[in-house]
Amino acid sequence: MTQAEARISPPRAGAAEALPAFAARGITKRYGGTLALDHIDLTLAAGQIHALVGENGAGKSTFLGALAGRVVPSEGEITVFGQPHVFGNPREARRLGIGTIYQELTIIPRLSAVANVFLGQPLSRAAILSEAAMRREFHDLCLRFDVSIRPDAIAGTLSTADQQMLEIMRGVRSGAELLLFDEPTTSLAPPEREGLFRVMRQLREQGKTMVLVSHNLEEVLALADTITVFRDGKLARSAPRADWTKATMVHAMVGHEVEEYRRVARAARPAGAAPLLTVKGVTLPGACEDISFSLQPGEILGIGGLVGSGRSSLLRALAGVEPKSRGEMIIEGHGTPWPARPRQSMRAGLALVPEDRKAQGLVLSMRAMDNIVMSNMGRVMRAGILSDSTIASASRQIAREFGYAEHRIGTIVRHLSGGNQQKVLLGKARFSDPKILMVDEPTRGIDIGAKDEIMSTLRALADQGMGIIVVSSDLEEVIQISDRILVMSHGRLVDEIDQSKGPATVSDILNSAFGVDKNAN
Amino acid sequence: MQTEAQAHAGTGGGFSRYFSRDMLLQYGVVWAFALLLILGFIAYPRLFALQNLQNILSQAAPLGIVAVAMTFVIISGGFDLSVAAIFALGAVVFAGHADGLGLWGAAGAVLLISVICGVINGFIITKMKVNPFVATLGTGSIFGGGAFLYSNSAPQVPDNFDFGILGTERFLGWPISIWILLAVFVIGAFVLARTVYGRSLYALGGNEEAARLSGISVDLIRGSAYVLTAVCAGLGGMILSSRLGVGQADMGGSLALDAIAVVVIGGTSLLGGEGAVWRTAIGLLIIATLTNVFDSLAINTNVQQVVKGVIVIFAVALDLYARRVRR
Repeated sequence: MTQAEARISPPRAGAAEALPAFAARGITKRYGGTLALDHIDLTLAAGQIHALVGENGAGKSTFLGALAGRVVPSEGEITVFGQPHVFGNPREARRLGIGTIYQELTIIPRLSAVANVFLGQPLSRAAILSEAAMRREFHDLCLRFDVSIRPDAIAGTLSTADQQMLEIMRGVRSGAELLLFDEPTTSLAPPEREGLFRVMRQLREQGKTMVLVSHNLEEVLALADTITVFRDGKLARSAPRADWTKATMVHAMVGHEVEEYRRVARAARPAGAAPLLTVKGVTLPGACEDISFSLQPGEILGIGGLVGSGRSSLLRALAGVEPKSRGEMIIEGHGTPWPARPRQSMRAGLALVPEDRKAQGLVLSMRAMDNIVMSNMGRVMRAGILSDSTIASASRQIAREFGYAEHRIGTIVRHLSGGNQQKVLLGKARFSDPKILMVDEPTRGIDIGAKDEIMSTLRALADQGMGIIVVSSDLEEVIQISDRILVMSHGRLVDEIDQSKGPATVSDILNSAFGVDKNAN
Repeated sequence: MQTEAQAHAGTGGGFSRYFSRDMLLQYGVVWAFALLLILGFIAYPRLFALQNLQNILSQAAPLGIVAVAMTFVIISGGFDLSVAAIFALGAVVFAGHADGLGLWGAAGAVLLISVICGVINGFIITKMKVNPFVATLGTGSIFGGGAFLYSNSAPQVPDNFDFGILGTERFLGWPISIWILLAVFVIGAFVLARTVYGRSLYALGGNEEAARLSGISVDLIRGSAYVLTAVCAGLGGMILSSRLGVGQADMGGSLALDAIAVVVIGGTSLLGGEGAVWRTAIGLLIIATLTNVFDSLAINTNVQQVVKGVIVIFAVALDLYARRVRR
């Protein structure tokens, strides 16, 4: 698709710019009998930001992997700045000037923030590490991104967002000419995203080329010079930013029209019903302070706020994962002892879908059906014995509810896409038959189709009388799904927005979170 | 994304599915065992003689019993180096008390002591949060020292005429020790594959945090696996001392590493969360057959040591390779 390089020429002219950043010809990747990439031809000009979009499984990440030197294509070739790419060798890719920022963190938890940023490429003089120089550069990087991370902080103790920033800093400072970003913003809050975008634009000014894989179409439209859409392993269309709208992108991705951000329909709820859950004075030292709220049956309660505002800690406290937390809990009018262990919380009728599906949610080495029944194995036990057929039929029922393909019920979870993994994770929480379902980041890093399905399943569960609490960094998603929104900031509850009188906007939530407007005094 | 594509390929069905590289790798240990049987038969035609088969199995019984429990611990993401010491403790206590308490009394004493050892291991690992490797290295030294102190470093030779029953007596024509070995394998395989407890061990080894959030009592499950290894080690010690007619504090030898080797050769991952008891059975049969054939060919035990080391490394490398290509 040479039209990509045609229109938007980089701001600077020069001999080097004439050379494309990379040119891929006939890139094909087969996994067994499946074509993950089908003869992709793509040439991208240097000095631009290129976005690759598409649903999960469309081939964009595989293509990025081929560029990064991680995936070895079955056919085809890529030249990078005129030089042939040697596949399957990340080190060789680095020599060609390619730097990759992976979505999965490659942070080493026990090393300091500085050490992580300079991992593999430390500053040294005569083979002796020069700490001072690295600290200076780290400080400069923090200023550029407008973040404050203590240089000596042990990386493992930092938030996911800060770890992601370290990862990005490492990629940016490596001096690569072609930077590949694989969904860099999934765990970042709006201000941090802005910081990253600012740096990406600066890098473009400096003539660097960037390739961005993202599920966030707004972000792609705001940032990219060229947008390439993948569908079913093929290149659907590649064109300059000016030729795209969100609607045309979605159309190219799914091959047919999709309603844009439709608000999920909600059923009328009985007025004045007794609250399903009431909590009072929930406190977790260092994370949440004195939080009280209640939840009606059939209600979806969204919790908005920035990363680090204590949203996730609140859910974890309710789920009995934070033994240091305290508070009062009343379920259907009955006082319940404050849960000190997950089991206690589950007995009380709560279930948590944790934010990190790989680290906290799923056992990747087990089958989808084993994961689903894990939250309540007693239910599929017959005379003390677990049989695969009982487990399969019980979990099939759950799978159906979440739109998970039933024939994949026996697939090892590691081999599933993010969207399917998320469905399994939700199904697992559902299987414990909770009265209250708490979902932390229900749709992180999954495609539009799966996202839609998950949202309407949550609504359907609420319509059956379940109370649902949703936490998400994607504020649009919070607005879309919630009946009522609680806004948290610095561990405190700062606002409550009732959406029955009309939808809130992202800026309503951010204003509350930042203490602008009514909460400022 | 590419993993998604691979999952498609993996569930593609049809004839080729059963003969794919995946299948070859996943059941590689079975093919290896089959090959070993053929080569072994060529080198030593008496390999399949009933007498020889019984010999192989009864010799392998103590190690096999311990290896089943070790499978549990390894799948839970742990490790138990103290089994050799508990094995020796079981042997000397059984032999030492066979006269005073009678066979049943002595067996009860061994059971009690084994359970105590296992609970100590479990407590140190789950409550004091000491890494299993270090914890059982330490307790192994303690229990082993206890065996020497108990026996005053002297061989315990009981006068009880029935002492040899466990190790040498037969039932339906086969040695009792083989029946016990078989029972431990069958029960172990069933518990691991078909009970909530077994499933919880896999979950714990695969992702402890996910298991905890699923309401599984991780400390209890993890700790109990060490009680199992301890009880099986005690039982193994009793069988060996019964067969030899003597209990000695140095009987454990390299049992801990041998048991781990058997588990690993079968293809159970040292990383935890994956594996099976049938794999341990194959691992045990491979080692036992190899020893038998080598012994029949009068091959020096030092050479045998070298060969077994190579096999362990090869098995682990193959397991890691299989993981890479399947990913």
